[in-house]
Parts: sequence; C-alpha cells; structure tokens
Amino acid sequence: MTDQTPLVRIEGVSKHFGDTVALDNLTLDIARGEFVTFLGPSGCGKSTTLRILGGFERPTSGRVILDGKDVTTQPPEKRQVNMVFQDYALFPHMTVKQNISFGLELKGMDKRGIQRRSDEIMAFLELSAFGDRYPGQLSGGQRQRVALARALAPNPALLLLDEPLGALDAKLRGQVQQELKSIQRRTNKTFFFVTHDQEEALTMSDRIVVMNQGKVEQDGTPEDLYFHPASRFVAEFIGETNLLSGEMRGHEDGAVVMDWFGQTLRGHAPAGAPRTGAPITASVRLEKLGFHAERPATANAVQGKVVGKTFLGSRMAVDLMIEDAQGATLRAFVDAETGQTVGADPVWVGWDSDSMAVLRD
Amino acid sequence: MMRGNRIFLTCFYWAFVLYVFIPLILMITMGFKDSKFIGFPIRSWTLDWYASVFSNTEILSTFGYSVTIAVLATLISVFVGTWIAVLLEGRKFWGRMVIMGLTVMPALVPGIISAIAFRIYARLLGIEPGMGAIVWSHAVHTVPFVALVVMARLSTLPKSQIEAARDLGADPLIAFVRITLPYLIPAIIGASIFCMLISFDDFVRSFFLGGYEPTLPVLIFAKLRSGMSPEINAIATVALVLTAAIGIWAERFTRRMNKDS
Amino acid sequence: MTLDTSTATDARSGDPKDGGRSVWARLATWTPYHAMMSLVTASPRRQFLILAIFPIIWVLTQHLGPMLQMLRVSLTDAYPVAPGVEQNLTLDNYARFFADSIFMMPFFRTLVYAAVFTFCTLIITYPVAYFLARHVSRKNQMLMLLLLLTPFWVGEIVRTYAIMILLGNTGALNLALKWLGLIEQPIPFMYTSFSMGVGVVYLTALYMLLPLYSALEKLPKSMNEAAADLGAGPWTRFRRVTLPMSIEGISSGCTLVFLISTGFYAVAVLLGGPSTTVFAETIAGFFHVAGDQWPTGAAFATIMFATALLITGVFQMIMKSLRKGDLT
Repeated sequence: MTDQTPLVRIEGVSKHFGDTVALDNLTLDIARGEFVTFLGPSGCGKSTTLRILGGFERPTSGRVILDGKDVTTQPPEKRQVNMVFQDYALFPHMTVKQNISFGLELKGMDKRGIQRRSDEIMAFLELSAFGDRYPGQLSGGQRQRVALARALAPNPALLLLDEPLGALDAKLRGQVQQELKSIQRRTNKTFFFVTHDQEEALTMSDRIVVMNQGKVEQDGTPEDLYFHPASRFVAEFIGETNLLSGEMRGHEDGAVVMDWFGQTLRGHAPAGAPRTGAPITASVRLEKLGFHAERPATANAVQGKVVGKTFLGSRMAVDLMIEDAQGATLRAFVDAETGQTVGADPVWVGWDSDSMAVLRD
Repeated sequence: MMRGNRIFLTCFYWAFVLYVFIPLILMITMGFKDSKFIGFPIRSWTLDWYASVFSNTEILSTFGYSVTIAVLATLISVFVGTWIAVLLEGRKFWGRMVIMGLTVMPALVPGIISAIAFRIYARLLGIEPGMGAIVWSHAVHTVPFVALVVMARLSTLPKSQIEAARDLGADPLIAFVRITLPYLIPAIIGASIFCMLISFDDFVRSFFLGGYEPTLPVLIFAKLRSGMSPEINAIATVALVLTAAIGIWAERFTRRMNKDS
Repeated sequence: MTLDTSTATDARSGDPKDGGRSVWARLATWTPYHAMMSLVTASPRRQFLILAIFPIIWVLTQHLGPMLQMLRVSLTDAYPVAPGVEQNLTLDNYARFFADSIFMMPFFRTLVYAAVFTFCTLIITYPVAYFLARHVSRKNQMLMLLLLLTPFWVGEIVRTYAIMILLGNTGALNLALKWLGLIEQPIPFMYTSFSMGVGVVYLTALYMLLPLYSALEKLPKSMNEAAADLGAGPWTRFRRVTLPMSIEGISSGCTLVFLISTGFYAVAVLLGGPSTTVFAETIAGFFHVAGDQWPTGAAFATIMFATALLITGVFQMIMKSLRKGDLT
C-alpha cells in the first residue's frame, strides 16, 4: 500500500431531493488505509455522502472516482465497496456462514474458495462458533460482528459504516470502538464511518470531517478539531467549550489579539482572520484553563470568583464569574482536590494563546 | 344497563353463529338421509349417496377439472399479483394510485357484470369458452387479492435488506430471488390458498366462460335446476369439508407467519 | 492475518472447469447474463421501466380492457360480427332499456333489493362486530371471529343450496314452526324476496362484518369511558361516539355488499321466482340466446354497473361528509 493516489476522490458532488439540498458541492479526497469519519447532526449530508459512495444514490452533479475509475453512475453491485448497515441488514433466512458467503458467491468464487475465505474471516472476528446459527439467535454485538465480517469478506477497497454502533448499549459500544479501530489497523483497509456521536468519532478516527447543512464545516485530525475548532458549530458540536465573544484587535507574533470585555486575550488564528474591529468569537476547552493563586505567566490570565461547582467524579467543573468583565463567566475542569480548595477567594485562571481558537463565523 | 347490553350482545352473537352454521349442518345431515326425497323429518340413515358420488366418474372428473383450473389460475395470479405488488410497493411514481385502483378493480366489479365482460373480452382475445377461458378469468379476478396480500408483507421488509444484497454484488434480479422472495413466501402461500378457494368456489365466471365440461359449482347448479337430490348434498358436503378445512388451515398459517416476523 | 492477500483476487479467474461453483456464482459471472443485467441496470429509469411495463400492460389490458370492450360492444349493432356484415355504432341498445318496462322493472327491483339487503346485513352484523370488538378479550377475539369466518370458505352455490334446504316447504324452518304448533300448513318461503334476502345476507355477511370489526376495533375503549364520565347515557354514547367512529367501516362494508348484491346471479335463479326477477337474470338472458343479443346485454350491464358505481359513490360522499361533520 505505497500507492499515493487517493482511493476516493469526490469531485464537486451535490445531491438535491426536490427542493432540499442534501449535499452542496462536496470535494474531498480519502487516502488509502485511512479511517475517516463523517460527523454531524441528522440531515447534515453525511449519510447522503455514504449512500453516494455505496452507489445507492446518484449525485445530482459532480463525480465520484474510486481507485482512479469514475464510478458515479455504477450500481452498488459493481463497486468494490461494501457497507455495514445501521440495522446490520443481516439476511434472516440465512445462517451466519451463508450471510458471509453471500458476497463471495456472487463474485463467482468456487465453493472451496468460499469455505476458506469465510472460515478465515470468521476466525478473524471470533465468529467461528456461530457459523450455523441464524441472525435471530445472536446478541447485538455478535450481529454487529457478522455484519462487519460479511462486508469485509469480499475484500472491498473501501468499507462504509453507517452508524453501526447505534444499536449497541453504552458499555458494549466502548469495547466495539476499540475493536473496530484495531480491525482497521490490522486489515489496513480504508474505513468510511458515519456517526452523529462526537465521542465515537474522536476515539476511532484518523480524520474527521464535520458536516453541517450539506457542507463541510471542518476537516482535520481529532486533536485539531477538538482544540482548534474552526467554527462555532464545530466548537459547540464537539465536546464542551467556553465561547468568548469579543472584538478583533490585530496580530502579534503569529497570534490573534482580541478584546474580551476589556481583557486583552491572545489566541490561535485560522487562515484569513477577520479585520481589526470586527466582532469575533474564540473557544477555550474547559480543561485548558489552569488555576493559580497568583497571576500566572501564561499569555492569557484573568481573575474571577467561583460561583458554582459540579462534582463529576474524577474531576470537577467550576464556574467562574470574571471580575472587570461585566459578569461574563468561564467554566473550567479541575481535578477534584483542587476543586475542593478553591472557594471564596478570587482565583486566577490562565491559558496559552495556542489553547484558544479564534472561530470563523 | 351495561350488563343487560352485554347479555343481549352475547346472545346475538351466538344466534348469528347458529344462523351461519345451521343451514350448512342441515345440508350435511340431508346427505345421509335414506330417501330420494329432500325434506324433513329424516327417518333412516345411509351412506349410499356418498358411495354413489365416489363411484361416479363424471363427478370425480369434474372435481379434478375444478382443481386443475384452480391451480392454473392461482399460478398465473400469483405471478402477476406479486409483480404488481413489487411495483406498487417500490418507489413512488406518477400514476401509482391509478395503477393501484386498476389493480383492485376486478375484485369490486359485481359478479354478473364481471362474467359477461370477461365473456365478451375472451371473444376479442380469441379464447374459446372452456378451460382456458375459465382459468384466465379466475386469474384476473384473483390478482387483486394476491397483490394486496403481498403488498402488505412487502411493506414490512426493511429496505436495507435489498441494499445489503446489492452492496454484496447481487443485481436487482438476484437480490429479488434470494432476499425478497424468501421473505414473501408466507404471504405468497397464503394468497395462493385463498386464490385456489376463490377459483374452486367460483360459479358465475365458470358458468359464463365454460364450455361443455362443467366445474363443480356449475355441476351442482345444473343438478339443482333439475331437482334436488341427496346426492347433491353429498357432493356439496365433500366440497364444503375440503374448502373449509383448507380455508381454516390457510387462515391459521398466515396468522402464524405474521406473528413470527 | 493477511486479509488482503486472500482469495478475493482469484475470484473471477477461478478455474472454470471446477464444478464447485454454485448456481448463483455461475449465473452472476455468466457473460450473457451479466451483459443483459448491465443493460437493465444502466439507469434507474430504465430499470424502473422494465419493472413497470408488464404490470401496466396487464392492468390496462386485463383489468380495464374487459370493461372498455364491454362498453364498446354496447355501442355497436352487431357482435360478434358475422362475415360480410357491417358493424355500426349505435345507441339503440341503450334506448331499448328505456323503451320497455319489462327491463325497467327488474332493474329497479335489483336496486331496491340491493339497498334493502345491504341495510339488513348492516343491522344484523353490526351488533356482532360490536360485540366482538368491544366485549371480547383479545385472545378470544380471533377465535370467535374465525368461528364466523369458517362457513364463508364454502362456495356460493353450496351455501345457496343450504338455504334452499332450510327454507323449503318441507325444510327445517317449516318443520320447526309446525312442531311448535305455530302453523298448520307450511309457509311457502321459497322463490320469494324473503328467500332471496336470506340468501344474500347469508352470502354477504362476511364482507360487512370484517370492515365493521376493524373499524370498531380501532376505537379506543377509553373514549367511551370519557363520554360516560361526562354523564352521557349508553344510547347517547353510542350515537355520539361509537357510531360516528365506525362510519368508515359502515361506508366500506355497505359499498362492498351493495356492489356484490347487484351482481348475484345464482342466488336469484335458485332462490328467486318469477316475481323476483333481477337484472342479472335479464342480462344473462342475452347471452344464452344467439350472439346478436350481446350488444344489448353489454349495454344493460354497463347501465347496471354505472348505476351501482354512481349510487355507491354518492353514498360514500355522504358518509364522508357525515364523518367530517361529526368530528368538527
């Protein structure tokens, strides 16, 4: 897998359903061996993208190139793409083994080949003991693995996963997330994962594409998205954050300088920051705020009074009212011990300029 | 007041049950009467009428003729009805409701009108009165029942099943045969039995489209017009027991199948 | 674990002489089939057309066709056309209907019978459906309904014959009445509108019962209790709550039974007499004699069908407005 050309190339793809625009001029490359997640609320266009890649929908305009070939108008059965469905869509009248063999058979494989391949994949996913059972006799987690095995068996170039963890309970979900990631590493397959669950996306992906209203909001690594959200939508959709609304002041040593209720703050800037004087919003993650008794040496520091505390087990969420800032508040995570000591006295909070992302509108 | 109501309704229900069953029971009883004369009271009993029915080759061949017609009509009707159901349960299209309306129409046309319309049309199609014409008219008449039953079942098949099959390399035809069809089997079996009963019981179409060879209902009708005889009771009883048994079995079968899925 | 080097690569190049491939494996890779399916699935539109063409042709030619041909024949002066004879369009067949009371009488009798029998069926089956839907536990409902459905699997002719045995001069009913001392001489039930009514109701009860039952079953029990809470008596409750809610069932049940009743032929022949001739017999008469009567028969059938559709259409509209009026 040294091929450097992208596996999938989506070129200006739009999809309209009547008057509604499900996907608006999407252009994107997916590299080989990548675990890419499309994340967004329902109706954002992530599932439409997935269905276009699978061949279940035809784009209104644009092209889809798979492995150098234009597959835009190819039906699903002709594509080297397989899918794990949200409801698994296992065939109820076939055993686990027959389900897994289905795709192999239709590729024209002989019986011995099918036997070898299905045994191999069942062993790989620890399903060997269930070969003769029917889907109705399996647990949710087992069904999910059968769906995965069935999709992986024909050796697809690209594997599509449509919220496959949605039907599992919370405890099992964490375990399956790890499993899925490790399967992807070991098979070195390209996974295209669709979810509305930000935690799932952060845990598993090499790359996350956040979608909103048929458009890409941001495209980057999980760390990138989390600490340097590009827009208000991304900042609010992924994790909990402090949003600071202020005014653009200018640039200084590669950082953006902004005014926030009379406090001068420095933040990380996206390309093409707004002009001076324009209203801007910045985002700081709760865990990036550090507590200090004295004014810290960090790029940003403000003094505030504790107005609320929420115990969360391993840590504590503290609400601060910032002095000299017209009652603006910040929320911070601190470890439980520190949380207990802070109280009546005003405290200093500080953070780096790199921890604060100035958002595009 | 509520109580009185309830008692009244319970009595009414059982009275209705009697109304529905008594004529049939009387008819069955009459088949065992040891006299040529139909009527009460019955003084002595016999099985002779049944013996004469089962040794009468004309009646037996009529029976076979009716069954053959029912099976052939059902095969056509199931094939066409299922195809129509697949079209109507698929994606929405312009004119879908018109096709839907036309599909159910043969079930709503009053018997005599349906029969003579078929008679006239058979002439246009060049089908001579006889078995072919009867089979054809029964098939058209029962298509609506198949289409409705299969549509009901099809509407419960998750769309993702077909998509999964396509995704794994099945073209639309293979996906239909290997995924949709197995799912539809219970509905198709149920519909087939209903169709066979409708065809087997049908009088008016068989009467107007038949040739010289009568179907069982036409034979009974002809015999009734020339006078009642306990032999008719025996024939009718055999037909009754058979159809009722198959009907009950089909009813239970479809209910169980619907419960399973 | 080397998933990528796996057999998938040799899938299509697998030894063709190897007989170990299933039917599906061979079909899916069989070139002519493949080429054909590629043509079919080339565009969703084409695929849809191929799916739709047969059902559309079927319903147009087999479902609508007979009706249209009947209409066409009713407008001609000769059918089937004898060789050398010219076929002309004419309205004479329709004029014949209005010209002679011999035809008018059975026609109106049929409509009156159908209406009266439909009403009787409704009156008789409504309490049964109501009882099943409202007073029987869910588990017994199916069983008790099935009990009623069983006789309906028996054919039209056999059931008609059963009614003949019940109502004959030496039939069970007369015997019972005599035994009770209510009559001396048998009452001639047969070959009257009474015997026909009993027969029609007996044959059509199912078509009324099922729509009524499913409409009444949908009605939540709490609704009646709510009405009782508001102080409505049983009669008011029935009239204001239950009846309006079951109008849908009444409407479709009556439509079905009315349409079926207008088309009964065997019942009329076997249970009716000279004084009860219905239009079905009149129409049938034109088909028993020489072929040149077919256009008249077709015209009469068209008149019958059009009238029945008109009546049921108006009836359904009235029921619809009743339902709307009661809900607002």
